[in-house]
Amino acid sequence: MEENFIFAGFGGQGVLLAGKILANAFMLEGKNVTWYPCYGAEMRGGTVNCEIVVSNDEVSSVHKKDTDFAIVLNQLSFDKFISRVKAGGTIIANSSLVKILKPRSDIKYIFAPITEMAQKLGEIKTANIVALGVLASACHQLTTESLHKALEYVLPAHRKYLLPLNLEALKSGFDALAVAG
Amino acid sequence: MAKELIKGNYAIAQAALNAGCECYFGYPITPQTEIGEYLSLKMPEAGLAYVSAESEIAAINMVLGACSTGARAMTTSSSCAVSLMQEALSYAASDELPVVLVNVMRAGPGLGSIYPAQGDYYQSVYGGGNGDYRMVVYAPSNVQECIELTYKTFYTAHKYRTPVILLADGVLGQMMEPAEFTQYSYPPVDNSSWALCGANGRAGKKICSYGPDEAKHIQHVKDLFEKYKLIAEREVMYEEYMTDDADFLLVGFGSIARHLKASVKVLRTKGIKAGMFRPITLFPFPEKRLNELADRCREVMTVEMNMGQMYTDVRLAVNGKTKTTLLNLRPAGEWMSVEEITEAVEKSTEKIYAGI
Repeated sequence: MEENFIFAGFGGQGVLLAGKILANAFMLEGKNVTWYPCYGAEMRGGTVNCEIVVSNDEVSSVHKKDTDFAIVLNQLSFDKFISRVKAGGTIIANSSLVKILKPRSDIKYIFAPITEMAQKLGEIKTANIVALGVLASACHQLTTESLHKALEYVLPAHRKYLLPLNLEALKSGFDALAVAG
Repeated sequence: MAKELIKGNYAIAQAALNAGCECYFGYPITPQTEIGEYLSLKMPEAGLAYVSAESEIAAINMVLGACSTGARAMTTSSSCAVSLMQEALSYAASDELPVVLVNVMRAGPGLGSIYPAQGDYYQSVYGGGNGDYRMVVYAPSNVQECIELTYKTFYTAHKYRTPVILLADGVLGQMMEPAEFTQYSYPPVDNSSWALCGANGRAGKKICSYGPDEAKHIQHVKDLFEKYKLIAEREVMYEEYMTDDADFLLVGFGSIARHLKASVKVLRTKGIKAGMFRPITLFPFPEKRLNELADRCREVMTVEMNMGQMYTDVRLAVNGKTKTTLLNLRPAGEWMSVEEITEAVEKSTEKIYAGI
């Protein structure tokens, strides 16, 4: 079985890092995984995205025309990637920056105020980790435990003090749906 | 060592260090800039030579200079900038220097674009420099192979005293996947007979490509081609996937092979006996094995992200034994998808079964 994920947002929102943590989480579970970034003439404030493909078999393609999950942190990315979500797939949108509209009826929508949730934690930069938490609550083959392990693995020694804050961000994202009911 | 998530460009850079690279000369260009970035941090720390050259022409000529002393030297670049290096590569072949060049391909011709492509097959395999020479070309298809074939590139260059190209592409350079830095396990190569390292107490040696004596020059070129013949006999590498009973063969090199394998799997579930053949050395091209496989294939389809370059070598190898076709929906950008490849094969087999 193969599943893919597109992470997209403004340059600076940490979507490439979130994708890297996600890919590490799958790798640490022993799955085959690839991470592929858009690498056009991107700049700070522009849009940036990466695609993660996870498979029990060899990954068939690092860049696909459609996706099972799109995690979009700004309006531009919502507009750009909504058409790429497979029928029956899921779009997770940061409702702090994305209008709550549902233009397609054949996909699932999860709107969470990701930027505001990060601000509540006292660090807006944790928005990407909050988003990973939301994803973990919606994706069956992803657990917060494996993301926890990946965070520990990815954080360099001199940044380890940031682990508690990031775990809090992860939990806050994971609980978001339950809170929203 | 456990697997770690590694970007293709970083894999090549660290593998070069593991292979004993002592000198790096380079100039940045997308999509391979991370190689130089990584080495600019690691090499000075380790007391090795990292030089940010003023141009690609300077960089490759610095590599020639370093290689003349027997040093393990490398440059890395991409398509349009590799074009600038062609004169030096012709010299390196004639001078018999163990030059290591990594080309992470982007789109051409001209400045082209930074998107991935496979348009430098001809440039790498047939050369853009003057005169009769060949270069060994390795084409990795995943990040693990970026490591293994970087090792191989250094070893082959030094073993045969000949320039070798590692031909990757933008997908491979930019993507990450789990891979492992295995041990560099090739034996050391003795270069004491030719390396220029000071003639104190002995007669001088020289390395030059200029032969004013006609007979000597002709002999030199013949000797070079004897060496290439030896390389062709010994160093051919390829991968086969489900070729045992295949009657439809997909042929591709580099990172698109991932799509070919996936397509073969889908085609098999539809009752089509497809297989994949992937040349790993583009020179020497695995023509003998491809020719054997062509015996029982109704069609050999070359799939590449260019206007049909390896297709030339595939046709020469198949040599009229069976039908050869080319699938190249785009010369750059988004890699042809598994669905596109599968569909093309299905269309083609429909014709075969209808006897057209």
